[in-house]
Amino acid sequence: MSSAVQTGRFNVYWLLVAPALLLVLVLYAAPILNVLLLSFADPKPGLGNYYKIVESDTVSRLIFTTIRLCLITTIASVTLGYIVAYAMLHAFSTMRQRMMSILLISFWISVLVRSFAWLMLLGHNGLLNNALMAGGIIAEPLPIMRNEFGVLIGMTEYMIPYAILPLLANMQGIDLRVTSASRSLGASNVQTFFRVFLPLTRPGIVAASLLVFISSLGFYVTPAILGGGKVQMIAEYISVQLLVTVRWGTAAMLATLMLVSVLVLMYVLNRFMRLSTVFGGGPR
Amino acid sequence: MTRGSSGIGVDFDRVTKRYGNMTAVEDVSLGIRAGEFLTLLGPSGSGKTTLLMMLAGFQDITAGDIRVGGQSIAAVPPEKRNFGMVFQGYALFPHMTVRGNIEYPLDIRRMAAADMERRLGAMLDLVQLRGFEDRYPQQLSGGQQQRVALARALSFEPRVLLLDEPLGALDRKLRADVQEQLKDIHNRVGTTFIYVTHDQEEALTMSDRIAIMNRGRIVQVGSPTELYERPRTVFAASFLGKSNFITRNGRTYALRPEKIDALPAGKGSGQNKLSGTIKAITYMGATLKLMVDVPGHASIEVQVPAWRNAGQFAESQAIDICWSDDAQVEVEAGDDEKAGVPPVRPSRG
Amino acid sequence: MQDKMFMRDLARQGALAFKSGRLDRRSFLALCGMAGVATLAVRAGDAEAAANEIVMWNWGGESEKCHGDAIGKPFTAATGIPLKFDTSGPLQGKIKEMVDSGKVTADVCDADGFDAIALGKSGHLEAIDYNIVNKAQIKEGVAWEFGVGVIFYGYAFMYDTQAFGGNAPSGWADFYDTAKFPGKRSLYKWANGSIESALVADGVPKDKVYPCDVPRAIEKIKSIKADSLYWGSGSEAHDMIVNGEVVMGMIWQNRGKAIEERTNGRYKLVMNEAIAMPGAYIVPRGNPAGRDNVMKFIQQALQVDSQLAILDCLGMTPSNPEAFAKIPEAMQPYAINSAMNIDKVIFNDPVWWAEQGGDAVNAFLDAIG
Repeated sequence: MSSAVQTGRFNVYWLLVAPALLLVLVLYAAPILNVLLLSFADPKPGLGNYYKIVESDTVSRLIFTTIRLCLITTIASVTLGYIVAYAMLHAFSTMRQRMMSILLISFWISVLVRSFAWLMLLGHNGLLNNALMAGGIIAEPLPIMRNEFGVLIGMTEYMIPYAILPLLANMQGIDLRVTSASRSLGASNVQTFFRVFLPLTRPGIVAASLLVFISSLGFYVTPAILGGGKVQMIAEYISVQLLVTVRWGTAAMLATLMLVSVLVLMYVLNRFMRLSTVFGGGPR
Repeated sequence: MTRGSSGIGVDFDRVTKRYGNMTAVEDVSLGIRAGEFLTLLGPSGSGKTTLLMMLAGFQDITAGDIRVGGQSIAAVPPEKRNFGMVFQGYALFPHMTVRGNIEYPLDIRRMAAADMERRLGAMLDLVQLRGFEDRYPQQLSGGQQQRVALARALSFEPRVLLLDEPLGALDRKLRADVQEQLKDIHNRVGTTFIYVTHDQEEALTMSDRIAIMNRGRIVQVGSPTELYERPRTVFAASFLGKSNFITRNGRTYALRPEKIDALPAGKGSGQNKLSGTIKAITYMGATLKLMVDVPGHASIEVQVPAWRNAGQFAESQAIDICWSDDAQVEVEAGDDEKAGVPPVRPSRG
Repeated sequence: MQDKMFMRDLARQGALAFKSGRLDRRSFLALCGMAGVATLAVRAGDAEAAANEIVMWNWGGESEKCHGDAIGKPFTAATGIPLKFDTSGPLQGKIKEMVDSGKVTADVCDADGFDAIALGKSGHLEAIDYNIVNKAQIKEGVAWEFGVGVIFYGYAFMYDTQAFGGNAPSGWADFYDTAKFPGKRSLYKWANGSIESALVADGVPKDKVYPCDVPRAIEKIKSIKADSLYWGSGSEAHDMIVNGEVVMGMIWQNRGKAIEERTNGRYKLVMNEAIAMPGAYIVPRGNPAGRDNVMKFIQQALQVDSQLAILDCLGMTPSNPEAFAKIPEAMQPYAINSAMNIDKVIFNDPVWWAEQGGDAVNAFLDAIG
């Protein structure tokens, strides 16, 4: 029985933690509460802003577009990330170290630089189109930038490293002898992959998907630049409401909605797998 | 007990495995009889596991061939070889129940559900795990996991079962029990068992024949009795059981400790006699181990029954040790150079 | 940039608070340590210094250098007060937030006329002191209570001369005519200028554009939606035109001359029917340098020399009528208030934008999404 549960005796160690906790509460939680209040207060007190979710075509379409693009990005980056992680798992150690270095260095490249790089590579007047047209393969430039497709390319590319890391961590924890065992029992490589390896990577897939989806919800720069103005996602919209149209209530409402959605998402997923393992905690 | 006869013979024909400059297995030829329990015994690095892996198909053969039932399997991928295999650490599928694990090979072979159920029951009975079929591997003890691994490897009635040091993680008492169970299962099922270990006690208790390996080569093959009573090299004598070595007229002889008599000084007789002093006495329960210093010789280890000899011996006592002619066995010293075992030299006085 | 801003802000606020007695010396020094400012260098006197400089909040890029040379140099020469910049862009929401928070760090913002109206109404700005600022030197209609129209810029468009053979588009009607002039176009994604352009294209006479019939404009914009891209920054607008992604691109008129010159006239600017926006210098309430100094600064910006320097450097058109006649001949086709253009452009109504702009932007975003 821990000391905290003894009759009347309060666990003194909480007092040591309290100041830090209080600081976090004040500096972190208070502003968030402020935003929450704003969503109920501006321009008029009440739930007016929240009704927009169902009433306003704009807002519901915005939410739907954001979710749709984030889902596609998640599926694409987790799939591609899985392939890379699998390759890294089976690479010789020097090769694997090199791949890891490239992976980590890629985190240092700013999202702005990447977006403009994509435009330069795949844009209307970019390297790919110029090469294809010069080779006579196409007559008109391919419309793969300044639209949804361009946004998906940009977002997926950014997210792949975020998918790789949890996947790789999970894969490295798998005792690979089970794949040998599976083959010794008569299963082909393909059967072994689908029946043994893939199910064992499920926690990694969930972790990676969660990480990628939540991160991509907040994407701003990439859709703004690669979307040609036509791909509206929630983060940019909130920014416009804050700075240009000064509809702070709407902005606060959308921000609160995002925060609550992420928390709910994490709660629901925690029912399916111990989220603490995703974030590095020990097993149950 | 009649033995089931579902096993098949395996032939290693001059099998060699090289990694770059390093040779792991050198020119091994070995014929394993159908249905026998053969152990590959050797220290780590002896090539025994590599040999097993080549047989399983997880390693390529650099030279030579492996034949099963007369047919070469060198080009056959592991999943088509139809061998059962029990891995070190068991390699059970953690995301499947005991039932899922045991039925896995049957499912791969597209067995009908009713048949699978029947085979599952038979396996559970064989390893005495009835009632455990819905548990997950993490919920089982080490010994239970080992039995599931065995059941899984036997469920599809393979004709050869490969076992790669499966008892390493178990404590001594459990190990002894499991050894008995393994032997029992082998008798009942009749599959050819090919067992890899470095533990000579396991090899002695379970095997029909033992192949001692060292440095990638086979040193000697034979039944436990043959190997124990008539080792051919210094290495074989010292690896399987304990042995003393006596050099006479340029020949080396191996002498087992329990075949030596220890008598008070002056009472010894016969031409096989040495005099010395007791350096140490160790009480082993059933036996006494005497370490005897003999001038001009390496220490001799003598083993006598404890019960009749308690109180007879003391440290620093002068004694005579003697043995009969048939107690000693001539062995080759030559292999030892290659084996890395230092040759017996007369000890410092 | 944010970090630098924040730290400077922090130190400055500390200095002010210390000077006014709200912060004791020890806490002030601790604050300086936190902000990374060497404590030795910060004395009570530096709080004075904080009060004795003008901070202009503008949009970065060339404008820091141009404003500095055109206005800052003569101003500092005359008054001894240096000019500093915050180049993060004074959007209406940011100004509002800054004033609300009580930590005002800018003295004058290079904003829009409708910002002057909207923020003035909500009490976030200082009133302009027309004793110091000379109203006669300001074009009629853009000397507001809470802001001064110091320059004009416009939403015009450029077209690719190689796209249409001999045919050249001459106004918004042509811009919206995808049959006669096929190809993609680009519009400003935050509605300003785009709404008006659509109305003109739909046949609304120039003097009846305001108050804007937003639904009608939206219809027109939707009609070319399949052929449209939308830009949010000058460089995006520039890239879309110069990379051939659009055959006709809406763009801020001040960039037009530069593009024409750099592409040897391949892309031409159309100033006819451009929507002329009055830029407004506005003063956030509670600005650190105080009323008098900043008003002097604004007055300097209106001087003919400064106005012409801004035109030369940034392409922003003067608002001082005295400067109109002095616009150099080479600049005349590109300037809003030049003799040849002043009747062709449509002057924006900042009052309408102040009230209806927010809704118009949202309606626009909704339509293009």
